[in-house]
Amino acid sequence: MTHHEVEKYSAGARWFHWTITAAALVLAITGLFLYVPAFSSVAEGGATRIVHRIAAVIFILAPLLFFLMKPGRSFHFIKEIFSWGKDDLAWLKAAPDYYFGGDEKKMPPQPDMNTGQKLWAVVAFFSALGFIFTGIFMWFLKDTLSAGVFDWMVIIHDLCFIVGGAMLLVHLYLGAIHPRMTESLKSMVKGKVSAEYAQSHHGKWYKEVAAREAAAKGTPGGQGKQQAH
Amino acid sequence: MAKAIMYDATKCTACRGCQAACKQWNELEAEETKNTGSYENPADLSYRTWLKMRFTEVENGNGLAWLFTRRACMHCTDAGCVQVCPTKAVNKTDSGIVYIDREKCTGCGYCVEACPFDVPRLDGSRVTGKAKMFKCILCKDRVDNGHEPACVKTCPPGALDFGEREDMVAKSEARVAELGDDALLYGDKELDGLHVLYVVNHPLKDHKLPVNPEVSPAVTLWQDILKPVGYGVVGIVAGGLLLNYMVARARMVKAKEGK
Ligand code: HEM
Ligand code: SF4
Ligand code: SF4
Repeated sequence: MTHHEVEKYSAGARWFHWTITAAALVLAITGLFLYVPAFSSVAEGGATRIVHRIAAVIFILAPLLFFLMKPGRSFHFIKEIFSWGKDDLAWLKAAPDYYFGGDEKKMPPQPDMNTGQKLWAVVAFFSALGFIFTGIFMWFLKDTLSAGVFDWMVIIHDLCFIVGGAMLLVHLYLGAIHPRMTESLKSMVKGKVSAEYAQSHHGKWYKEVAAREAAAKGTPGGQGKQQAH
Repeated sequence: MAKAIMYDATKCTACRGCQAACKQWNELEAEETKNTGSYENPADLSYRTWLKMRFTEVENGNGLAWLFTRRACMHCTDAGCVQVCPTKAVNKTDSGIVYIDREKCTGCGYCVEACPFDVPRLDGSRVTGKAKMFKCILCKDRVDNGHEPACVKTCPPGALDFGEREDMVAKSEARVAELGDDALLYGDKELDGLHVLYVVNHPLKDHKLPVNPEVSPAVTLWQDILKPVGYGVVGIVAGGLLLNYMVARARMVKAKEGK
């Protein structure tokens, strides 16, 4: 074991991640009170609605703020999650064996975001758009909408909840619970992962990082600092 | 036993005594209103106007018809409001009254959108969403104690009646037969039976009563299909993850022992 660590997520990216996570969890829980009749008594006073709306504002502002502060990084992220190729197909085919059995042989080396993470990002991206679009209608334009349109807004809001919520469970599980994802949570908390973990989980990305590190060491005055993702 | 109000539009003089009696019994504030060139007043139902008379002027072959239509909750058997209410704050009693338990109401407003007759109204803030729903509750407090609703008690020409639903249907049918011609009974079959029956002798559309009212298919899709599908999807995913955890861990332990 070397104690060599590489930076995976910048402080800004981590702040953004945890802010939107907190907002989404609060939104999901306060929304659940209306969705599940058995829990609905909690929603009776209307307090959960106020919490839902405050969290909704954070849920909308956080990505906007991140975008304004780091437009380049944001565009890069969007481009990355919508770039799909052959490796992704191979990953999807090999994933069950890996996630159940730990068979790594067929897994193609991954960049900093693997196919599964990209899939989650795409679902999260579209369900967030769906939540925000329909949520704004349900919040402010209730009286303007015809009854039929309003019902459809709630239906789409619920559809996003089902699809996004199910994927969120998978994401929470893989990020924090799956026995092989030993450093996933750490990477988003501390920003760094060990070189070994980077190599086995994000081989393609690690190669680039290692090359950059080597170049930096070779350059006089180079600080060995690499681009964080 | 199911009860019902019978409203005979052919006897109604639009004195609006029912409107005033409703306000008085239910202690609802008066509204400031505008003269719009009609006796119709106020313009619409609101959280403090649960019952109002609608005035419609229709030109037909015989000149002008001046029609009066009672407008309040219809106390539907197949009630859209009850289907969508997350807390079951709107609920049906054995007597067919669709009641609102305001303690339980979250103010979501789903019932407002689901009602085929555009009846429920919210009182509250748009921004915070803190609100409560208000509508006619067929004077449940009076009915439970053996009295007729306040509107029925007050009606001077006897255009309103109240009793066992069966009796009211029979009485309405007899009245329709007596009137003959274009007279018809509305509310007997609509939405599996309304608990407010209308006898009219002009076309329903002139009274602005919806012909074949129905709970929107979107409501059915949302409540009866999408919601159960949601439980199924989340259940399957959660089960899959649990299975994955058990298998992946067992294999990891085995791999370590093998080393
Ligand atoms: C992660 C994001 C979100 C989740 C998980 C979520 C979840 C939910 C759920 C489950 C419901 C209940 C639907 C039902 O009764 O069947 C709901 C209702 C609602 N949501 Fe969201 N939501 C999210 C984001 C938003 C956003 C961004 C807005 C506003 C811009 C919003 C506004 C509303 C409104 C207005 C309602 C209607 C009920 C009410 O007023 O309490 N939601 N949400
Ligand atoms: S008329 Fe509207 S509010 Fe009244 S019971 Fe029917 S659906 Fe509910
Ligand atoms: S506004 Fe109140 S009564 Fe209407 S559906 Fe929502 S919780 Fe139920």
